[in-house]
Amino acid sequence: MSLKHIYLLVTIILLIFKGYSCERLHELIYSSIEGSAACFRRLNGTHQTGCSTSDKGAVGVVHFVQDHDDVLWLATNASAGPYMAVVSTSKFGLVEFLIDHPTNIAGVLTYENASDIPSFFTHDTRCPNEFSSADGNQCSSSKEGGVVWNEKGTGLLKREIPFPIFFIPESRYEEIEKISHCFGRFNYDKNNQRGRSLCSIQLNSFMFAAINTEVCMRRSATSTIVTTTKVCDPLGDQNVYYSLFPRTKESKKQSITLVTARIDSASLFDGVSPGAASSVVGLVTLISAAAALAQLIPVSKSNLYETNILWTLFNGEAFDYIGSQRVAYDIKRGVWPPNAPLAPTDVKLHVEIGQIGGSLSDYVNENTWPLNAFVPTLAPSTINDGDNDIQIFLKQLSNAYNMTIPGIFNGSLPPSSIHSFRRILSNVTESGEMLEMLLVDHKETFTNVFYNSALDDSDKIAYVYKNISMINNVTFISTAELIADGLMKETDTQVKISRLATALAHALYQRVVGEAYTGNITVSAHLVDEMLYCFLKNETCKLLSAAEFGGNEGPREGAGPAPLYVGVTSWNTVAPVFAGHLLALLTGTQLSLNKSQCETKPESGYTRLWLKGWNHNGVCIETTMNFSQALSPAFIISDYDFKSGTYSTWTESVWQTMWARVFVSASGGSACVAAATGAVSTLIAALLTFWLRRHSSLIFVDPPSATIVVDDAASGILRSVNC
Amino acid sequence: MDLSKLPNDMKLQLCKSYFKVGCLFLPFVWAVNVCWFFRDAFIKPAYDEQKLIKKFVIMSAIGAFVWAVILVTWITVYQTNRVSWGATGDALSFIVPLGRA
Repeated sequence: MSLKHIYLLVTIILLIFKGYSCERLHELIYSSIEGSAACFRRLNGTHQTGCSTSDKGAVGVVHFVQDHDDVLWLATNASAGPYMAVVSTSKFGLVEFLIDHPTNIAGVLTYENASDIPSFFTHDTRCPNEFSSADGNQCSSSKEGGVVWNEKGTGLLKREIPFPIFFIPESRYEEIEKISHCFGRFNYDKNNQRGRSLCSIQLNSFMFAAINTEVCMRRSATSTIVTTTKVCDPLGDQNVYYSLFPRTKESKKQSITLVTARIDSASLFDGVSPGAASSVVGLVTLISAAAALAQLIPVSKSNLYETNILWTLFNGEAFDYIGSQRVAYDIKRGVWPPNAPLAPTDVKLHVEIGQIGGSLSDYVNENTWPLNAFVPTLAPSTINDGDNDIQIFLKQLSNAYNMTIPGIFNGSLPPSSIHSFRRILSNVTESGEMLEMLLVDHKETFTNVFYNSALDDSDKIAYVYKNISMINNVTFISTAELIADGLMKETDTQVKISRLATALAHALYQRVVGEAYTGNITVSAHLVDEMLYCFLKNETCKLLSAAEFGGNEGPREGAGPAPLYVGVTSWNTVAPVFAGHLLALLTGTQLSLNKSQCETKPESGYTRLWLKGWNHNGVCIETTMNFSQALSPAFIISDYDFKSGTYSTWTESVWQTMWARVFVSASGGSACVAAATGAVSTLIAALLTFWLRRHSSLIFVDPPSATIVVDDAASGILRSVNC
Repeated sequence: MDLSKLPNDMKLQLCKSYFKVGCLFLPFVWAVNVCWFFRDAFIKPAYDEQKLIKKFVIMSAIGAFVWAVILVTWITVYQTNRVSWGATGDALSFIVPLGRA
């Protein structure tokens, strides 16, 4: 075969067998660390917080940090260049020392180990949302004395960190083992590290935004000739609200009881914010109480009563109360809820379900779950009559709960959405027209020592999924039956939450109807079990597959629960949608309409949703549930002064990619040799080329003159033309 | 274009037109003018058109130098003060660096 044919054959063979990898040789030295979650940058009106790396990432030599001696060595004696500290979450306190001495530290890699759970792990400030709290708040980070709510809080969530921090969850523990082997092979000899090949890690989490919200919003908004890159997004999402009786502009009751809870959580790391004790317990209590009350008082009886109950879930509360500030601001302007706005004087009582999840793990072997009710200081004229509306309600609640819930009247108010209402609707809250009550499980400091952190998962509320099948796929088994059949115990978290939700529903029934409830409808612990599973374990669950949009395809490949972080306003997260649809499914009326009929305009005061339903065939639900935007008023008021501190100004930086990889760095010696060889060979080549050009006439023999001898006149002419 | 092959009056024409074009806020054209005609203006033995060519080369040189001073001053002031100018600094910038002030 000729050469050409051989080339063709080789090309065809190579094209067929594309099994070769197309990676550059240089990339083959790295082993990527999968499943990590990075600390990222958020900004508020005056500061930037969180972590960032340079564009090329941060490289550091691996060092496992186990105790204070290790961090001391890193800060003072270590010699082989910047280090990457690898520390377990149980020893995370050592990172504080590294932040104070960051010169030799390139970053931190922290990992979760099931056999070594920290006794506390919270990075919110000691006084959460201190600067958005109402007057009379005694928790202060600068002054001594007063009560401190989040005792163990390090404040890292709201501070600037000089190096990147990445988190490896328990499910990815094999990555830590990989790094540990690498460390054992190359870095073991601490004192002779300089000049050797060392196991190193490169982290990249380059953040686009900087300085503060004002600057980054300005940079994102400038309209130059060329399209601008967006560098940050405001935090925001959706609030969920649902009213017991429908409300329209014409027929709305003048007396409203607002029952609220928060739906969001937060953590230092992107994508990991389970929020079990911080939010999910309150969220589940609210949804199940709302479902029970809808059964106790059907919508058909709405004309008989004068009080309406408006259940609301606020989003973004971890970041200066984004959701509740927006709702309070909208109520002041008279535009919330959008279809039938209420006036501030309409709300007679505001009950907030605050931090109730922290003590569940403390009372894991007992039937009781003690709670307290904080009542913010009232104007002097309304204090302490026994007929005070709040004290009446508290008594009704205590009766229904079978346990006294003491009211704390003169204390500082713990962090909660009530602060937003007291600041923005101060007219009605200070005069006592809007009474407020906060349900919590603590007195002085939080019982939840994993407040707003990545480790606030189902273990911290002593929750174990019972996986009980539903009757006919439609009905939930009642709590009494579950206990009688031995499927649940009185000490189970699910039973405790169902008892609280039942008490809340019965107390609200009494408030609306005027008489105590004497029937036997209660909240089912089975329903609570399923709800906790959906929000804490896996979003592919029975409840949510019935509650999702009817048009969606089959079950998602849910790799765990949906994170509860509020996220940016331009991207709606799934948690509020789940919660809203669950509320609709459990409380709404089922209409016998098909999909296209369901999409027609409903009666005023209602929305219609086409959901999957319990049999997954699609069902039309008519409900009073709806969503409203949870975006801080700072971003909708034109020319708002971001430094004023009136409203939440939190934004999140934009980033392109975040990754981590481990490799073995070249020892100092071999790198120098390579560089020297390169420089020398370049020099030699340059000299050689120069010398060759100089003496080209000697080296290259002129080729014999053109051998094309043509004997005609044309060639003579060609030869004489000199171009 | 090889200057050695051009007649002298064409060289003068070229030098003059380069000077005129440089007046349109194009200091690099002046700089090119200086480099290109330097030999002809100062080093070659005298010929008729050399006086005018010399004049244009000197004027281009002065112009390019003034521009260089202005540009270097502005660049230094901008680079050192952009951050402290805050909003004005961002408004003046075509490309704002990401991830830092």
